[in-house]
Amino acid sequence: MNYRLPKKVLIQTLNAWAEQAEVFAPQKREGYAQFLPWEAGNELLLDEPHNTRFPPKAFFLPQSETLLTYNRKLSQLEMPALQISQRIIFGIRPCDARAVALLDTVFATADNPDPYWQTRREQTILVGLGCSEPATTCFCTSVGSGPFDHAGLDALLTDLGEAYLVETFTVRGEALFANLASANANDAEQAGTIQQQASALLEPAFTTDGLKEHLDQIFDSYLWSEFAQSCLGCGICTFLCPTCFCFDIVDEAQRDERVRNWDTCMFRVYSLEASGHNPRPTRAERTRQRFMHKFSYWLEHADQFGCTGCGRCVRYCPVGLDIRAMIRKAAATPSEAVHVN
Amino acid sequence: MNELETKIRAEAERLLSEGLVDVVIAFRQEDAPLHPQPAFFTQVEELESLTYNGMCANNLANYLTRYPQETRIGMVVRGCENRSVNALIVEKQHTRENLVLIGIPCEGILDWRRIVALTGENVLSVEEKDDSVIVHTRENTFELLRIELLHPSCQRCLHPNPLSADILLGDPKPEGDPHLMRLRIEALENLSLEERNAWFRHEAERCIRCYACREACPMCYCTECFVDHTEPRWTESGVTPAGMQAWHIIRAFHQTGRCTSCGACERACPMDIQMTYLTDKLNLDMADTYQFEVGMDAETQPPFATLTLDDKNRFIAQGK
Repeated sequence: MNYRLPKKVLIQTLNAWAEQAEVFAPQKREGYAQFLPWEAGNELLLDEPHNTRFPPKAFFLPQSETLLTYNRKLSQLEMPALQISQRIIFGIRPCDARAVALLDTVFATADNPDPYWQTRREQTILVGLGCSEPATTCFCTSVGSGPFDHAGLDALLTDLGEAYLVETFTVRGEALFANLASANANDAEQAGTIQQQASALLEPAFTTDGLKEHLDQIFDSYLWSEFAQSCLGCGICTFLCPTCFCFDIVDEAQRDERVRNWDTCMFRVYSLEASGHNPRPTRAERTRQRFMHKFSYWLEHADQFGCTGCGRCVRYCPVGLDIRAMIRKAAATPSEAVHVN
Repeated sequence: MNELETKIRAEAERLLSEGLVDVVIAFRQEDAPLHPQPAFFTQVEELESLTYNGMCANNLANYLTRYPQETRIGMVVRGCENRSVNALIVEKQHTRENLVLIGIPCEGILDWRRIVALTGENVLSVEEKDDSVIVHTRENTFELLRIELLHPSCQRCLHPNPLSADILLGDPKPEGDPHLMRLRIEALENLSLEERNAWFRHEAERCIRCYACREACPMCYCTECFVDHTEPRWTESGVTPAGMQAWHIIRAFHQTGRCTSCGACERACPMDIQMTYLTDKLNLDMADTYQFEVGMDAETQPPFATLTLDDKNRFIAQGK
């Protein structure tokens, strides 16, 4: 169902939601866009051409979270009560919502769902804002998505100038907007044009035909050492990535808690084994892992790229490693050009 | 291509073609207009992509410790990078004889965050012309003042000129004003304990523990960082206030007498966290207490790495 949301009632809509649920919306703090709790009187930030700096995956997979508390004397374990109230995330970009849907294939599998992820996911409604003017660092259309992709979303807004066209995709998305007037044919047509123009603004950054097969062939290429030369080996690209989900589980024994923290394949200690052996001993193997996971291994488990083209890794890499350029280089690397150890 | 770039390229070409070095570490322009990339040239033909401009934000001395001592390295160094190289030589991380330092008197690094704040994200190119910087975005063209775009660490820079370069390209720049760093630190020191604590916590607790500050720093070259130790564990590894505070304070303390105030840590931080106030304070303490400034030569040990029997703290001589 399509609705028309006049911009002049947007704030009051958010205020009304905030009385029923916890609402998060993009706002500027510390000089950049962040999803922050919405309170009447706050200032919305919807005109940035890109997404928030920190990825909204953290709403579902917090960077640090207590999985268990334990009592050593009594030999007891307890799972903390996950008291998550109903949440509405307003203004999430389609790349980030798609990433949440991709992560469902990891954390919300039928046979072994992650209860922490599941609870948060069930309690959270995602209202997306399509990107009429994607940023120069965006490349969603190159990875099978687009600036108005509705994967993972309950509803999607298209900016029509004076109003938003609201498309709803789920019952709970529908419920949020059901008191609005329906959109007319003219609105839908205008939205269609805007959506097409936005996609056209994004030139293909690389071709994905046969990319996986090619990457698998150049696994032993010198290329990875070349990338690794400038790579710092920090965690920016993976921590800011909306689809990277690796974690480490540690016991914070001083407070009797078992904690799950984000971890990253870019760190040396990530793959360091207890014996002292490290199967990914240099930055070359680690850079390759990040790359191969997104553009080869994801296809094996979910038939999708593990990248939604959000562009954060491009924008914030401190040494200017642009994953689009890396893919183009990888594609141009002949498969026989292997590095002999 | 600017004049300086041409000169650097010519030097790099000479060093490589005469077989004087195995690799030249400089920058190249890749696709990201705001982030030229550290580059490692081993062939003359590759030098076409060599670039040098105000957007070159990394401290190239960071890459020195990736090479064995025997590797003969040519490296582009600005004032701070030269001092980092000196500090690394003091710590025996490379042999001076195997280094050829191509010195550039530095005009200061342009802070990409400041540019983006003024022009928006869609930057296509950045052009430097005398005192102004022309930024072309997808939508507009902006003419900005260079001085307003300088990274804060560069605004406070004391020594923009390389101190021990083998080759110096370009005219020396005037030395910086030491009061600028002092004023900033004094302003923080004049805050109440509560205010200072709030400042520290506000900065430290935004940390996402990606360790970009560590990885961007030439002096953070430990094979195993204290945060990565598991036996014993020194800090919490999560994004808890205690863990983040411990990281920030201990990282800074490990830099005492080693940091050149280059600001590469802050430029790498994805969360725009200020952290040079900690290391700058330690640098002032080093200057005030020991009259020591990091990397001014390649011989003087930092005070905390020095043992003398006439140490003014008598406990050593007295054996107590």
